[in-house]
Amino acid sequence: MKISSKLLVAAAVVLGLLMSVPSAHACDKIEMGDFDWNSAKLHSAISKFILEKGYGCTVKVTTGSTLPIMTALYKGQLDVVMEVWYDNIIDQFKPHEEEGTVKRVGVNTPDSAQGFYVDAPTARKYNIKSVDDMKKPEIAMLFKDPENPSKGRMLNCISGWSCYTINLVKHHVYGLGKFYTIFDPGSSGALDAAIKGRFDKKQPIFTYYWEPTALMGMVDLVKLEEPAFNKADWDEMMKVVNDIKENGIEKLRMTKAVAYANMQLPVGINTRLEQAEPEVVEFLSKYTLSSAEVSKLLSHYLQKAGGEAEVTARHFLSTNDVWKNWVPEDVAKKVEAALSSS
Amino acid sequence: MLKHRNLILWSLLGCMFVALVGYSYSVSTQTKPGSLGELLSDRTWLNNWPRWLDMPLQKWTNDVIAWLVQTYGWIFDAVNAFLLGILVSLLNALTYLPWPVVILLVVALTYVLSGRKWGTTLLVGACLFFIGFLSPRFWDKAMQTTGVMLIAILLCIVIGMPVAIAMSRSNRLRNAILPILDLMQTIPSFCYLIPGIMLFGLGAVPAIIATFIYAVPPLIRLTDLGIRLVDPEIIEAAESFGASPRQKLFIVQIPLALPNIMQGINQCTMMALALVVIASMIGTRGLGDEVLLGLQQLNVGRALEAGIAIVLLAIVLDRITQAYGDTLQKRKVKAEK
Repeated sequence: MKISSKLLVAAAVVLGLLMSVPSAHACDKIEMGDFDWNSAKLHSAISKFILEKGYGCTVKVTTGSTLPIMTALYKGQLDVVMEVWYDNIIDQFKPHEEEGTVKRVGVNTPDSAQGFYVDAPTARKYNIKSVDDMKKPEIAMLFKDPENPSKGRMLNCISGWSCYTINLVKHHVYGLGKFYTIFDPGSSGALDAAIKGRFDKKQPIFTYYWEPTALMGMVDLVKLEEPAFNKADWDEMMKVVNDIKENGIEKLRMTKAVAYANMQLPVGINTRLEQAEPEVVEFLSKYTLSSAEVSKLLSHYLQKAGGEAEVTARHFLSTNDVWKNWVPEDVAKKVEAALSSS
Repeated sequence: MLKHRNLILWSLLGCMFVALVGYSYSVSTQTKPGSLGELLSDRTWLNNWPRWLDMPLQKWTNDVIAWLVQTYGWIFDAVNAFLLGILVSLLNALTYLPWPVVILLVVALTYVLSGRKWGTTLLVGACLFFIGFLSPRFWDKAMQTTGVMLIAILLCIVIGMPVAIAMSRSNRLRNAILPILDLMQTIPSFCYLIPGIMLFGLGAVPAIIATFIYAVPPLIRLTDLGIRLVDPEIIEAAESFGASPRQKLFIVQIPLALPNIMQGINQCTMMALALVVIASMIGTRGLGDEVLLGLQQLNVGRALEAGIAIVLLAIVLDRITQAYGDTLQKRKVKAEK
């Protein structure tokens, strides 16, 4: 009895010591979740570099697809995910957020966007600013569809993606159907190649696209103005979209149509990290890069860095100063020292 | 003399290899070993393939494609417009005709080509009916697929046959072309589909080109084989009657090789159909995009329905070309008797 109580005390002391370890030194091990798409890899590489060199953490990165990585974050096997597509997974994320196990801190890309784009040279030359500016026969002829030369061609998003049907409805409601055919590119690789090809040939292009993406860093596309997003009109439009998905294209009819809402991509953390590493969370909540900046980095990542995220992270940290706003001065100094040492 | 020639050839190849490795090393941007001594003392590069030993084929390819698109884009546009023009008029004809008329025409064609075989004719008619019967959406899509394929097969015949004839007359040419055919058959089709889009733009034309690359090898191989298999005694007989090389080719060799050539066209057709789904990934309209859509929406039933329609189309084309080949074979056997 006596021995066991001594043991208990000893155990309590050891436990107490263990508990106090995180606050004793700057940073411990951080489990980071990463995805199999490029922008996520980039954010992970940049934050990993800052965390390791600036805060002295050990960062272990685990890569996977959305479902397993997010589940691991909810369960606490992962501490942080740098790019959460919140709007897409809101149904799963929100319950855990309400329970208090996970949290959104900061916004890694505040202005990710999708919509209809025209190449910048054509937009400048013909003063095209909005979708309405496209509704002229002489403008449509710039984008002539080789299979149907009486109309222009607008490239749609990939069939099977939800934007495909949404664009069909917008195309109809905006009155573009009179001037343009809407073309399914089949796959995102094909869409990218088509856009790049048109730019290389210096020919006009009218297409659906989204950012941040590597292609956006390589070519100069201008986003066309659409009626501003509002929830009521969007929901009205989605009724028709869902009707088409269930009952076929015959259900295409006039309705309201508005722009896509700009998506914010937050950084997601398990709330445990907040208690363990408040300084790290402070940094994560300040972490933010504009869509244009991410697009530029992505094209560097794919073209110059040969697909190596760490090379791109170093390139970003040594050529851009924006990250110094995210961290205290002493951390910035350590990161800079690490950059120049190797 | 021959020994010397081989020696020269091998040393030339060796020099080219050394030059390639040297050049790759000199343009590499990775950290390189400082000296030969460093290579010998630090042997970690023997465990993992060293970063500086990397042929810059990637850069070469990208530069060549960019250069082609930027300087000769208009040539590709012209080819695109030409092929697309043929395709659009063919498609217009196929979709303009009411479906019963198309079925009747194909059935009549089968009846004649198969040498009045009722079984084959009925099978072809039933298959065609079932394509539309599976889903009314499929009929127009099947016509679009057929259109793209017919143009691709035509291109295969127009380009493949002269190559095959030249190959059958020269062993050296044959040895040079065979590895190229192997390459065309094994390289993953996405490797040429994506650059195809950059050169020709989205749509049917890159798919036609891709189908050509994928489907022409069996046609060339079988035509070459067919001409080589023609009985030497018959050729001798033709020569003794004073036939010129051209007469020999067109009056004796090609007609006698026709069953093999038909087999080649049959194989070419089947290979072309195999590429239909992949072609839909670069925006080619047809039965392939129904399969793709079904899979993207996890609608297995929809994908299977379209898959079966592709198989039915394959049976139709296979039976027609096969039956015509059989008819030719029978005629040949009869003539030989």
